[in-house]
Amino acid sequence: MSDAELDPQRDYPLASHRPELLRTPTGKRIDELTMAAVLAGEVAAEDLRIAPETLRLQAQIADSVGRPQLGQNFRRAAELTALPDDKVLGIYNALRPRASTRQELTAIADELEHDYSATLCARLVREAADVYERRGILAS
Amino acid sequence: MADTVAARDGAASRTLSLVEKGPALPGRRSDEVVIGVSPAFGAFFSRTIVDIPHADVLRELLAGVEEQGVQARVIRLRSSADLAVIAHTAAKLSGSGIGIGILSRGTTMIHQKDLLRLSNLELFPQAPLMDLETFRRIGRNAARYAKGESPEPVPSRNDYMARPRWQAKAALLHIKETGFVQPDAGPVELDVLIRLADAG
Amino acid sequence: MSTRSTARPQAPAVPRRSKRTEILENRPVNLDGFVEEWPEVGMVAMDSPYDPRPGVRVRDGVIVEMDGRERKDFDFLDQFIADHAIDAEAAGRAMALSAVEIAHLLVDPKVSRRDVLAVSCGLTPAKLLEVVKTMNVVEMMMALQKMRARRTPANQGHSTSARDNPVQVAADAAEAGLRGFRELETTLGVVRYAPLVAIALQVGAQAGKPGVLTQCALEEATELELGMRGITGYAETISVYGTEAVFCDGDDTPWSKAFLASAYASRGIKMRFTSGTGSEVQMGNAEGRSMLYLEIRCILVAKGAGVQGLQNGSISCIGVPGAVPSGIRAVLAENLVASTVDLECASGNDQSFSHSDMRRTARLMPQLLPGTDFICSGYSAVPNYDNMFAGSNLDPEDFDDWNAIQRDLQVDGALRHVPEAEILAARSRAARALQGVFAHLGLAPITDREIEAVIYSHGSKELPPRDVLEDLKSAQSVMDRGVTGLDIVKGLEAGGFPDMAEALLGVLRQRVSGDLLHTSAILTPELTTLSAVNDANDYAGPGSGYRPSGARWEEMKRLRHVVSARNPEQEVG
Repeated sequence: MSDAELDPQRDYPLASHRPELLRTPTGKRIDELTMAAVLAGEVAAEDLRIAPETLRLQAQIADSVGRPQLGQNFRRAAELTALPDDKVLGIYNALRPRASTRQELTAIADELEHDYSATLCARLVREAADVYERRGILAS
Repeated sequence: MADTVAARDGAASRTLSLVEKGPALPGRRSDEVVIGVSPAFGAFFSRTIVDIPHADVLRELLAGVEEQGVQARVIRLRSSADLAVIAHTAAKLSGSGIGIGILSRGTTMIHQKDLLRLSNLELFPQAPLMDLETFRRIGRNAARYAKGESPEPVPSRNDYMARPRWQAKAALLHIKETGFVQPDAGPVELDVLIRLADAG
Repeated sequence: MSTRSTARPQAPAVPRRSKRTEILENRPVNLDGFVEEWPEVGMVAMDSPYDPRPGVRVRDGVIVEMDGRERKDFDFLDQFIADHAIDAEAAGRAMALSAVEIAHLLVDPKVSRRDVLAVSCGLTPAKLLEVVKTMNVVEMMMALQKMRARRTPANQGHSTSARDNPVQVAADAAEAGLRGFRELETTLGVVRYAPLVAIALQVGAQAGKPGVLTQCALEEATELELGMRGITGYAETISVYGTEAVFCDGDDTPWSKAFLASAYASRGIKMRFTSGTGSEVQMGNAEGRSMLYLEIRCILVAKGAGVQGLQNGSISCIGVPGAVPSGIRAVLAENLVASTVDLECASGNDQSFSHSDMRRTARLMPQLLPGTDFICSGYSAVPNYDNMFAGSNLDPEDFDDWNAIQRDLQVDGALRHVPEAEILAARSRAARALQGVFAHLGLAPITDREIEAVIYSHGSKELPPRDVLEDLKSAQSVMDRGVTGLDIVKGLEAGGFPDMAEALLGVLRQRVSGDLLHTSAILTPELTTLSAVNDANDYAGPGSGYRPSGARWEEMKRLRHVVSARNPEQEVG
């Protein structure tokens, strides 16, 4: 479904105009997320999350309305959907100034790439490691 | 190096003398609170933004801690004028893990060593609203955290008109204080001497 | 006069002052702080001899020199901006235009927003500064009217309590929603109260009008955690700074913040960054640059991170630019630059700024008249003594003035007059719903007496105090037990508020579609997304763009007291 050609004028907001393209990461359709389903215990917190395919559709829309940085952010986000919350928080904390050594950042980048196929995020972390080294804000 | 500043206003004016004893080391007693002061506190500066003498400020903080039967140690941060850094460093050097940080202009924070630096136990961000009673209560609460209690936080005063009146002056004070930062200098332990000033 | 002064020799007296001087001395404006410029330390709004000269050199698609600095000497902001914010391909052509030519593109209504963006994407920080320096405030307002991303203006409110009282936060959130605010923000006196107050805001917001989005300003990692759990609906307190030293003092870098932007999007949560003039000089590390130059660097970091928007307009530092010459013009310029690089702009007017009602209003006009994505970010929907952001430029006492100004000028400030009965009903609903949710979740109880008090109160001074220690225990248990937004939905349903449960579920469901992640997105009361994608600003001069009309204009005509034309002995309701 990420092959769909979207026209922002016609298709956005997706929830109103293209709901058939939307699935939760758990595979539910958006119209299955009803009050009745919640009360029946059929909706969990994990169902109220965005799927990587959806973020890539939104990236397509961002690109086509002239917002390449926003689109790129959505693509990085698509990669991060695979990571558990505490892992995401952990990487964020590791990217703070003087929080990590170069080796630690490199290990994070490798893990992102190998375990989560998060190549864009890995690139961001490697870039950070280079800049942090040049500017002296790695952990000593 | 010793800094002696006199507080001349009021009936009982006091002098504050802060003498550097050497590097500040981690405390071993679990019943202590470390008070971290900023680079120019009681040195280039002698008063808060609303002219409360630093001698009286420190006296109230110490009294608040000590009246709870807890020891107080005072250190000076020389490498930063950032309140969170000062308070967090004090907490990390404190045997109890509880520290107080204070800037020359009067802004104060209670911190705990295991919290994130930008978090805190209690923050008193508006220096113009800090009075002696508040400083006493901050010392008291810090001591109670050190004893493992959960005191009710000191009510934070909130005067929304402090910013338009004081913020730009606070910025000037901070720029001056930042001028005293020595990036590579470690924290030092201070001997605190507060005396009544001679009359006349 | 001379005879009198020589006839009675005595110690020099205070020079006699005129009655007029005495009156002027006592005017509120003289309680405001004003300071001299000091460009060497950055205490200057936007016109400093120490700001860099604009320039760019591109080699093989990479910016190798920017604003007089070689790539090897770039600080981390320079590098992030050069590599992520500026379109290197567009830079050569854009930078070749003079600052005045670019300013003309901004002001001229016949040049479309899209055409401006084709140029602005290639401009360096120093060039953007030079452009706005050629403009006066009226020209900037003309430009802002066109460059704002969303066609329809909106507004954000604050709902906080000096005692962190969740019942008050819920009731004031409901009233704020009813009055027109589409986003509500809270923060705490005591940080540990956060989960409880954030739940109260979330519940109260849906009691006024459905689809109001809520946030809780906290340390970055904690704010993200509340967002991930669905206890908040969006985030804003993601601060960026204009110098490397201050950025590091804030314990972040452009890369950590860019990662955070992706983290929020990965959970389907809307977010914007925050920055503003004066923060660097206030933190004592402005590197001798003007406040606006540093702010423009922040704006471009936000752009490069791929975040959809920015809250700026000095924000919590407003007392600093507010104290120097041309400072409020610089604050308008910040908003304009954010809009000019195609970011959502939540444009300040959110912090107490002056003792003078005239200055408060004058500071507001440059955002209110052209309209921005969020005119205030936010307007204090609680009395300023309860405002835990240390007071806003406007508070509930100004509601009727705001409504009258909207009506006088036919300018849409996104608020409306609401009859008291509707307000009391919404406040009551919010407080009772929160009572039900707290009971459902086993949190510290809310009594009927508290509810009765909060319905009719103005602020926390009129409310019975809560058991703070019990509340803090409850707050901790919310975190320990992993309570989520879905649990709040169930609590609302269990408490007998199925429509509010439905509205909150509708807000949470937005995460699945990601529509709210786009630039300038808000949720309408019908729970559909309105953003710069499907409500793009189409201003093109007189007769075009957004103008209040139809039902909205009729609504804006209503005030607390309007004499009936049919029967002048009555007022229209």
